Amino acid sequence: MKGAVETVPMRAPRRLVPALADDPLLAAVIGLVLAAALALVLLQPAPYLVNMAGQLAAFAILAVSLDLVWGYLGILSLGHGLFFAIGGYVCAMHLLSHAYAVTGVAPDLMQFMGWKSLPLYWWGLTSAPYALGLALALAAAIAFVFGFASFRSRVNGVYFSIISQALVYVAMLLMFRNDTGLGGNNGMTGFPLLFGHPIGAPGVVTGLAVATLVTLALVLAGTRALVVGRIGRRMLACRDDEARLRTLGYSTTRLKLGIWCLSATIAALAGILYVPQVGIINPRVLSPDLSVEIAVWVAIGGMGRLAGAVIGAVAVNALKFWLSAAMPEAWPFILSGLVLVVVLGLPNGLLDLATLRPKPTWLRRDGRLG
Amino acid sequence: MVEGAGRAKAWICGVLLAVCSMQSAFAEASRPDRAGFAASLCGDGAAQSKALDEFVRLSGEAAIDDLAVAGDLLRGMLERRFLCLGDATLLLDKAGASEGRDVASGTVHTAAGGRSPVLGLRQRALVETASGIAALVAGETVELRSKGLAAVERRMAGVPEAVLVRAHKTESDAGLKAAIGVAAQGAALSSTDPARRLAAIGAVADTPSGAAFSRLSALKTDQAYRADAEFRAALDAGVARVERAIWIGNGLAVLYNGLSFASILFMAAAGLAIIFGLMGVINLAQGEFIMVGAYAAYGVQEVFRRFAPGFLDLYLLAAIPVAFLAAALVGIVIEALILRHLYRRPLMSLLATWAVSLFLINLVRVVFGSQNLQFAMPSYVSGGMPLYADFIVTWNRLFAIAFATATLVLTLLILKRTPLGLDIRAVTQNRDMAACLGIRTRRVDRLAFGFGSGLAGLAGVALCPIYSVNPGMGTTFIVDSFMVVVLGGVGTVIGTLVAALGIGGANVLIEPLYGAVAAKVIVLAGIILFLQRRPEGLFAVRRRR
Repeated sequence: MKGAVETVPMRAPRRLVPALADDPLLAAVIGLVLAAALALVLLQPAPYLVNMAGQLAAFAILAVSLDLVWGYLGILSLGHGLFFAIGGYVCAMHLLSHAYAVTGVAPDLMQFMGWKSLPLYWWGLTSAPYALGLALALAAAIAFVFGFASFRSRVNGVYFSIISQALVYVAMLLMFRNDTGLGGNNGMTGFPLLFGHPIGAPGVVTGLAVATLVTLALVLAGTRALVVGRIGRRMLACRDDEARLRTLGYSTTRLKLGIWCLSATIAALAGILYVPQVGIINPRVLSPDLSVEIAVWVAIGGMGRLAGAVIGAVAVNALKFWLSAAMPEAWPFILSGLVLVVVLGLPNGLLDLATLRPKPTWLRRDGRLG
Repeated sequence: MVEGAGRAKAWICGVLLAVCSMQSAFAEASRPDRAGFAASLCGDGAAQSKALDEFVRLSGEAAIDDLAVAGDLLRGMLERRFLCLGDATLLLDKAGASEGRDVASGTVHTAAGGRSPVLGLRQRALVETASGIAALVAGETVELRSKGLAAVERRMAGVPEAVLVRAHKTESDAGLKAAIGVAAQGAALSSTDPARRLAAIGAVADTPSGAAFSRLSALKTDQAYRADAEFRAALDAGVARVERAIWIGNGLAVLYNGLSFASILFMAAAGLAIIFGLMGVINLAQGEFIMVGAYAAYGVQEVFRRFAPGFLDLYLLAAIPVAFLAAALVGIVIEALILRHLYRRPLMSLLATWAVSLFLINLVRVVFGSQNLQFAMPSYVSGGMPLYADFIVTWNRLFAIAFATATLVLTLLILKRTPLGLDIRAVTQNRDMAACLGIRTRRVDRLAFGFGSGLAGLAGVALCPIYSVNPGMGTTFIVDSFMVVVLGGVGTVIGTLVAALGIGGANVLIEPLYGAVAAKVIVLAGIILFLQRRPEGLFAVRRRR
């Protein structure tokens, strides 16, 4: 533990266990996540608590996916909501067509659109593995096209951020239309079944939450292994001085594109796990504000640290769950105040509180990061 | 008072009578008997119809004062102020009054025992038309005459052409005169005289509009279209001419809307581009500075309403400096408190400005509420001037375009001709070198940030006559103005202008073809593709960073 932010280690540890041992905070977070999953199974708390834990875990996965590209690669995406929504929409399509196949009751969407049967692009979505594959592949494909166009022409920094924001904004406008056939303004809701079981049953709720928590732990372990490995060292090098890395003969475009697609896939995974737990997906997920908020979670928790992303997502969303019920008027003010405090006073987010090192020197020397 | 007014009217009638009788002996000869007309209105349905038909038939030539008197009677009849009392007829000042004037003698009588004549459906229609004719030709105010025209247009078939020709000739109000002309043409189109119809088709095609098109194409179902080759040829040519004109007019309207949208975009993006070029900060709160400008305009309006209601029309002009200063002040405060610390961390400044925008939106929401603000529209931004076919140059959009042009000139002047502009350009090109030469770059940053924010405030003033003003209004423009900055290139006003025109134009050109959403998708895809060729945007400033 030298600084609050990950630095390039002299020798990259190759195995996961030493990688985790290097970062006790992350190990603790993963341990807590798994402990929470175990507690949900053993203690059987109230369903809304279980549900909330599951949602928080889904948000944490989303935050980790953004931290991977922002904190480790210096690419701030303000459009990650797009990939989250792709996962969510495909998952919702699966849930609806699955329920339609099992119960034979046409979903509201079909009546609303006046369809006799589901259109062609819904084909095969009754199968969960196909839906999972489709969601991840679709997110990766869209990320690839957008990332390829951007990284190839060396669009980066703030430029990349605002173009990715435009991307999610356009996607939102697109999904607000009814003729996309994905529910338009209302989105999709009213999922009765998950793998043949009623979706509101306590066992299903717990199962979903546990699955999300375990996925979070796996994602954390996997990304940790990635960022401490050879690729991770290249990522940090690219973040700190892309031109130099390129001059040294590395293809930064390929590196960025690969990580970018991986990050999009993880975000889609979060979307897949999120939708059955909240029971609805609509175009508001694609609002540019929500995508900025993801970055806010990461910034508040501490970017450039996987544990920071989880802490930020959980802390901000738990606060949001509590405050938007207790005093909805005040929440935006608190959030904006929180962002300003973190941005101005705690460059590494809440993690700075623990280490009590207000400003690491690299921030002043190197203008690229932040 | 009423007595006096009545006498004055009688006097005017007398004078008019004298004038008319001098003018036309014909009118003298065909003058209907007023008392007889009034009496026949008290008769049965057949007598009423006969008298009314006669009146309508002669109304083209009848003397003005006769029409005025008859108009009074007929209006009285519709308003149940017209009473039949034996052989006499009374006109009351108001329905249910206890006494009224005798129509024939003008003396005052008690209304006791009188009855309002009953009108059948056909008779009521006739009375309405006749009263409309009287009002159209002899009405004293523009309002009365245009009401008359509306009544006449409802039953155009029964109205003699001479009425409209006459009303058109004597009408003094330009707008109403044009409306009467259109109505007269319409009447001529359904005339029985083929030559008149042909002439009317030509005349209608001369003033093309959507209404003219539907009127002409309706004639295709007329049997003359099948029977008469000359008529068919004339009509087809007329329709084709109108169609072409409408197409051109709609094209002009699209371009005009595109230009006004681009103007707003330009004003929103110019400040953004200057700030970004100078400090590498993208201000996500720029949309909220637009909102601050619009709310400042609202504040100015309220102050005018309170303290100088007579000059309310001028508030929009007075709001221009106020909105600029208000937005600039907010910008400078934000720069001094927050952004100053973040120049080396552009991505964090993105989040900080987002937090500022969230804060401003919710602050305004709490203070003013989230409903749309109501603006009094000064005369110079309401209405418009029909230019060609259906294309109307609306003043509110022209205001925005003129405003943006003035802003463009002013911005260029400030950047190219003032010491501050020189400093801004120097710091944009090479910050370190500029600092070495003794330019206080921090001060330049602050002033430029204030200037850029002020430009957004101006955009707020320009758009409040066009778009609705509410706390969330900034988000509507912000993504588009980012795209303008990306496309135009960093820190160039001309690039911003060209990009704003391009994006604004592309949006409104694609919109009617494929819809608003497709327009945004295509524009975004176009920008991403364009950046493949020129990642720095259209006009990149050469600089070192």
